[in-house]
Amino acid sequence: HHHHHHNHNHNHNHNHNNCTKKWRLFFTRIYYLFQLQEAFAKGLLKPGMNILVNEPKKHVNNVEGLKHCLANFRKGLPWVERLDVTNPPAADVVAQAEGKLPTADNRDVNADDDFQREMFFYRQAQATVLEALPLLNKAGVATKRPEDYFAEMAKSDQQMQKIRKKLIAKQTILEKSEKAKKLREQRKFGKKVQIEVIQKRQKEKRAMMTAVKKYQKGMTDKLDFLEGDQKTAQGSSQANKKALNKKGPNAKRKYKDQKFGFGGKKSGKKWNTKESHNDVSSFRAKVAHGKGGPGGKKGKGGKHNKRPGKSVRKKMKSRS
Amino acid sequence: NMSTFKRKRGGKAPGDNKAKKARFIGNASSAPEDEQEKKNEISVPAPVSKGKWTNKERVLIFSSRGINFRTRHLMQDLRTMMPHSKADTKMDRKDKLFVINEVCEIKNCNKCLFFEAKKKQDLYMWISNSPHGPSAKFLVQNIHTLAELKMTGNCLKGSRPLLSFDPKFDKEPHYALLKELFIQTFSTPHYHPKSQPFVDHVFTFTIADNRIWFRNYQIIEEDASLVEIGPRFVLNLIKIFQGSFVGPTLYENPFFLSPNMHRRQIRLATAARLREKQIVKELQSIKKSEAKDDVVRDVTADVFRTPAEEKPVHIETEPPEPKAVKKNKHKAFKRQRMQMARK
Repeated sequence: HHHHHHNHNHNHNHNHNNCTKKWRLFFTRIYYLFQLQEAFAKGLLKPGMNILVNEPKKHVNNVEGLKHCLANFRKGLPWVERLDVTNPPAADVVAQAEGKLPTADNRDVNADDDFQREMFFYRQAQATVLEALPLLNKAGVATKRPEDYFAEMAKSDQQMQKIRKKLIAKQTILEKSEKAKKLREQRKFGKKVQIEVIQKRQKEKRAMMTAVKKYQKGMTDKLDFLEGDQKTAQGSSQANKKALNKKGPNAKRKYKDQKFGFGGKKSGKKWNTKESHNDVSSFRAKVAHGKGGPGGKKGKGGKHNKRPGKSVRKKMKSRS
Repeated sequence: NMSTFKRKRGGKAPGDNKAKKARFIGNASSAPEDEQEKKNEISVPAPVSKGKWTNKERVLIFSSRGINFRTRHLMQDLRTMMPHSKADTKMDRKDKLFVINEVCEIKNCNKCLFFEAKKKQDLYMWISNSPHGPSAKFLVQNIHTLAELKMTGNCLKGSRPLLSFDPKFDKEPHYALLKELFIQTFSTPHYHPKSQPFVDHVFTFTIADNRIWFRNYQIIEEDASLVEIGPRFVLNLIKIFQGSFVGPTLYENPFFLSPNMHRRQIRLATAARLREKQIVKELQSIKKSEAKDDVVRDVTADVFRTPAEEKPVHIETEPPEPKAVKKNKHKAFKRQRMQMARK
């Protein structure tokens, strides 16, 4: 006495009863209740909870019917009408070159690995094309379109232009980001080199001073440290000085040095003459109108041309 | 004159008599060039001859109401790709499915691709051989249309496709039946008047994860370099019927999970997770509020008890000798020197 009382016919003939699904369920439940009552009256049901156990759902797989249907349905068309090819995917050249992916893996492609899956489909199409082209040539069907053959395409020219534009845009973005990365790397590298050079120079200077002190105190009486250091010191200091002087004193510093520093004529520089009145060369529109505010100010306020601190300046000075 | 005439279900529009005439799209433009380049006969193929078209396959592609833009574009793309297709107006939800057979008969089509949208979320596709069957119902997922900018390939409109099938299609009888259905539906007949004589793209049908994946590639070179044209979609088989939209079920897919069930499972999973968290919280609060029994014995009492014998306690009254620090050799030396000097 199995519990699956639901005797509903699972086919798609929509002409049987007018009941909707809800009513059908209701009626089956009532029917089931009635059956239970009957069974209880007959004494078939044991006391305790009777749990409805569902049968495992059987899925229809009518192999005979399928084969029969296929035999009836199949049209014996020549290959040139159908153009179908059944084949496994072509050999994966890239994976073979890398040495992985044995042929056994090809059978079951992992549907979640997007790239692998799409490559699988691509290779299947490739294998088909390779197989079918000779057959097509034999059947006299053309595959190459001649240059002067103009016909309507599946996608309009407008669409293709959009696609091309998008591709080009992607390319340019990639190139720009590459360039920016390289620049950043260069700058970092340049900074590193600069620090290294400064440190080396400081070390040499320290060594030189200690050697000199030793000589002064009478610990050693050899003066050969002078020659060795001089040769290297001269060569390296010159090269480094040049590099440093480029950035060294900026325009403002130069102006202040000129005005308040040593040497040269200081007085008689500021006269209120016709020429000086008409000279507007020192007018900076941006500064006057307050333009280039955060960009310029931030740039300046950041690390743009920051004057090194007192100790660093002392070291630079004593080195030179 | 495009007057607003309400067409009957599946009937022809009044001014539609030109539909049967064959249109030579590509060859019409090349016909005047043909005469000029008579000497270069090899490059221009012969015009499509009416008498040679024998395979009279016609596919009716239409949908029910309530489809969204993506489905509409997919249908249009399929109609573009298949020159042997015909379109029809949307079918009302009230009509039963077997009405589609009548529509096909009126339109003189022997295959049908019917798209049905449910709940404005799920798309089902019926593929059927019209009068006698068989037919199959699929759930369509992962639709990408021709218009997507990532699909960079292009092909002639109406060119005949190559069809590529996974060997798994030959292994099971239901897949074999589906393969035959796909071949008859998707292959453009030879010498169809709207077709182009070149073969420049390939449809692939692959079985993965118990679903059928469809892709469309353009053949660029003879060495089989391909580019995807689109559209692309995934078909999840539900059932195969012996008749066309009616008839006994020949095959039911055991791996198919209806979208409602799928959504329900997700909801249940999240609900179960939340409930678990709540239960764990409750258990923890119960544990905290429980009366705790005092620990009498100290488990860590004998950790430092070593099995060696006791040494006598020795109290040092004098400071130990200072050790000579090797690092500051000079300092020790100097101090000693000073001490020695004083002494």
